[in-house]
Amino acid sequence: MSNRLSEGLRYTLLVIIAVILLTPIYWLVMSSLRPADHIFRFSGNFSIETLIPFAFTLDNYSQALQSNVGRALFNSLFVSLTTVICGVFVNSLAGFAFAVFDFRFKKLLFVLILLSFMMPFESIVIPLYTLMRTIGWTDTYAALIMPEVAGGLIIFLFYQFFRGIPREIYEAARMDGANWWQIYYKMTMPLSGPTIATASLMIFIHQWDAFFWPLVATSSERLAVIQVAIARNMTMEQANWGAFFASASLAVLVAMVPFFWLQRHYVKIVITNADR
Amino acid sequence: MFRHPWAPYAFIAPAFIGLFVFRFIPIGLSGFGSFFSENLRGDMVFVGLKNYAELMDDPSFWNTMRVTLIFNLIINPFQICCALALAMLVRRPSKFIDVFRLGFIMPMTVSIALTSIIWSILLDPTLGPVNGLLRWGGFQSQPFFRSEHQALETLILVATWKGAGYWMIFLLSGLLAIPREIDDSALIDGATGIRKFISITLPLMKRPLAFVLVADTAANFLLFAPVYIITNGGPNGATQLLMFEAYQAAFAYINHGRSMAISTIILGVVLLIAMFELRLFIPAEEEQS
Repeated sequence: MSNRLSEGLRYTLLVIIAVILLTPIYWLVMSSLRPADHIFRFSGNFSIETLIPFAFTLDNYSQALQSNVGRALFNSLFVSLTTVICGVFVNSLAGFAFAVFDFRFKKLLFVLILLSFMMPFESIVIPLYTLMRTIGWTDTYAALIMPEVAGGLIIFLFYQFFRGIPREIYEAARMDGANWWQIYYKMTMPLSGPTIATASLMIFIHQWDAFFWPLVATSSERLAVIQVAIARNMTMEQANWGAFFASASLAVLVAMVPFFWLQRHYVKIVITNADR
Repeated sequence: MFRHPWAPYAFIAPAFIGLFVFRFIPIGLSGFGSFFSENLRGDMVFVGLKNYAELMDDPSFWNTMRVTLIFNLIINPFQICCALALAMLVRRPSKFIDVFRLGFIMPMTVSIALTSIIWSILLDPTLGPVNGLLRWGGFQSQPFFRSEHQALETLILVATWKGAGYWMIFLLSGLLAIPREIDDSALIDGATGIRKFISITLPLMKRPLAFVLVADTAANFLLFAPVYIITNGGPNGATQLLMFEAYQAAFAYINHGRSMAISTIILGVVLLIAMFELRLFIPAEEEQS
């Protein structure tokens, strides 16, 4: 009896928390579907129409996509996907070296890697901007992509996985005359599907989320990523609310795609890594 | 482990060049640049510790330090308690639990910039639905971000809305790693509810909790977007966090030396936090190898 009572209480709490966490996202998407003059009509005075729009339209989306938001979505996708491809390659190479080889300064270099992933990227944004200005990279795609390619966390992720591959298969491959590069890309990488997927998701979400660095590194409209474009559109006088809700919904929905797609991997692998 | 004269160095080279150029050089630049100041002709001149001395003499900088400290002293324990509560709630497998687990991490898909904008609208005194709901329920509407006395607390709640699910993942993994037998033997011994939680679960969660505490502190210490987007440090300096101060020095007041000095202080604190974190990782590495 008391068991059933505590289960009831548990589910009540679960539902309340889910409502608190999800309602803002729901409201965002619903608002994007309202005609522009309806968006705030029902928000200050609470009624059923605050939660459920009675009039639907896709106008906001067509307006948003015709503005700078279309370009910004492209920029964000381009920057995120390029970083994913480069990041998986560069970091898996390093993870491979740490998992397979013994070499001088290995311990020291490994500590540097750990240290770099424990220092959040935001902490170096301002000196990094000074560096970019010196080498003339401000307002380029390279400034958005290159600093985020090498990352200690992703190296660590690959290292953890590669370490579990038995050394016998490497020995066999060496006997057959394979060089280390061939072993890396013909044997190790094809075995690493889930790890590659997790690394890709982590890099993608991190880049898609990025705001502070893109805000600082790029000032031209042409290179604005979606987060920066939305924030800039907001600060202009007379924000177009319909277009804001539509572009924000698009930004959230794109971020959801890899989450739903890879959710199981992600949670599972973060879980196995977290309790080390 | 294998040995090879140059292959390991070739494999780590791209990553290390990246880390060196985009992490370590900026750290060096920051420390170096903090000793220089721009004169009227726009040349950089060596000024020693003057930038730091100016910060120490500046009451507004001390306000920033105070606000940042208070913010972190409240938000980190609060966020971790929320994350732990979420993790405990979704720990036991049961009906729909996967749906709740996924639902709780959904705020991760809303970027920190969008979180800021959306919540500033939701909490608007006149147009915001939250105040609409309060008035509907017979309560007074609240100023939230517009009030000196509520802005920092509101910021903490909004940041927790986005962050709790993320940190829950790490704590949930810790909980799921606790062997079943320990739970069962606790039940036989008659330990239930809160007593079991304090005497059995919490001690086993020491490592994941310590990890989350350190990582969460580093992240919150650098919070920027909500301050930049919603409050601009106001009202009356109530939400003036350190990262925003560094941004203002660099891009609003264009005071290079000052911005580098603040950056160096930030880097120093973050490095200190990272050292703590490293201590949590290294023993685990040695146990295994």
